[in-house]
Amino acid sequence: MLFLVKAVTAQTEMTSAEAQALRTLVKEKAALTKTILSDFTQYKHLDFLSNDIESNGKLAFQAPDKVLWQYSAPFSYSILFKNEKLYINDNGNKSDLNVGSNKLFKQLNQLITASINGDMFISDEFEIDYFKTDDSNIVHFTPKDAQFAEFIKTFHISFSKTGEVTRVKMIEPSNDYTLIIFYNRIENKAIPDAVFSQ
Amino acid sequence: MRFFLSSTFIILIGCTPYPKKMGYDQSTSTSVQITNPYFSDADHDYVYKAGITFFDKQFGGILVIKKIKENNHRVVFTTEFGNTIFDFSFKDDDFKVNRILKEMDRKLLLNILEKDFRSLIKEHITPIDIYKNENKSLIKTQNRSKKYYYLYESDTLTQIARIANQKEKVVIKFSKISNNIVDYIQITHSNIKLQIRLTAI
Repeated sequence: MLFLVKAVTAQTEMTSAEAQALRTLVKEKAALTKTILSDFTQYKHLDFLSNDIESNGKLAFQAPDKVLWQYSAPFSYSILFKNEKLYINDNGNKSDLNVGSNKLFKQLNQLITASINGDMFISDEFEIDYFKTDDSNIVHFTPKDAQFAEFIKTFHISFSKTGEVTRVKMIEPSNDYTLIIFYNRIENKAIPDAVFSQ
Repeated sequence: MRFFLSSTFIILIGCTPYPKKMGYDQSTSTSVQITNPYFSDADHDYVYKAGITFFDKQFGGILVIKKIKENNHRVVFTTEFGNTIFDFSFKDDDFKVNRILKEMDRKLLLNILEKDFRSLIKEHITPIDIYKNENKSLIKTQNRSKKYYYLYESDTLTQIARIANQKEKVVIKFSKISNNIVDYIQITHSNIKLQIRLTAI
């Protein structure tokens, strides 16, 4: 927590040249990244709670748009984004949702996919602001669409100095947030198709 | 005449008071203070994995209940990703919607959710009648003109039923209970196809 406070206070805005350099770095990195496997820890912060709600799981990504979030603790739940559809496996109960018909989910999916490979600067749907700290770059994405903004006020993505996404923070209009921290990242390891089947 | 008698008989059976139908006798014992202890600790974050069946649809998410102070609770439902679906405040008799997903902002649905969660979290209950059956007590109470029966088995609250016309309309079942923490809660509506299942995490 002390670290977070320090990181926030040490945050300064990038120059346009620095922002351009980051965009180039992340795009080059994304172009070379065919798959990503990563562990993650998610913290749901609600101001009135004594403790954040913590959950853990694994993420699998395959370019261009297959994403599997698999929560293993404290509950078993997976959500798969594939072919404009969203497949949910809630502890054995399976359901799917046609993302294409739901603008909100479509944008959320787009943002999530883009945030994993970092290639999201082409979007004209967000107001984008660039910040830097000693050890990372933080990009703030603020939705322009009113319906989406009602759901997520702003989205902060942190990149390592080498261009990998290290954390994602989704901030709600109430300022409550979800923070996802990635670790044990493995790139370009072949992922069997079965991982993305539902 | 025979038709009239048999109809009357059916009506009489239909009107059997709920406690009698369930095998309870009225107790003469005077009322004691009755509490629902399950959401009464302001230092505890009550967090549940929720499964909701609404007609043929299945939803999941996280339900968070927090006692802010006496007679004041927050009830928040989020997706597994953490996006808030609804956020309610219950303060004494007031109900405030802090946030709700536009698609769900329907008066009818809000009424159902308000009633269900109010029954779930209401801590202090004033008994009207007490019924007994061996080690079980059925306690009748009223809240906003609705009748509720609290079932205590060996002094442990295991069920809250909302009764209308002597029939169960909504039943909240508490199971896997230890130290006033309920690990599994099931809320079942009988007049609409709605069931909410909560598993503590």
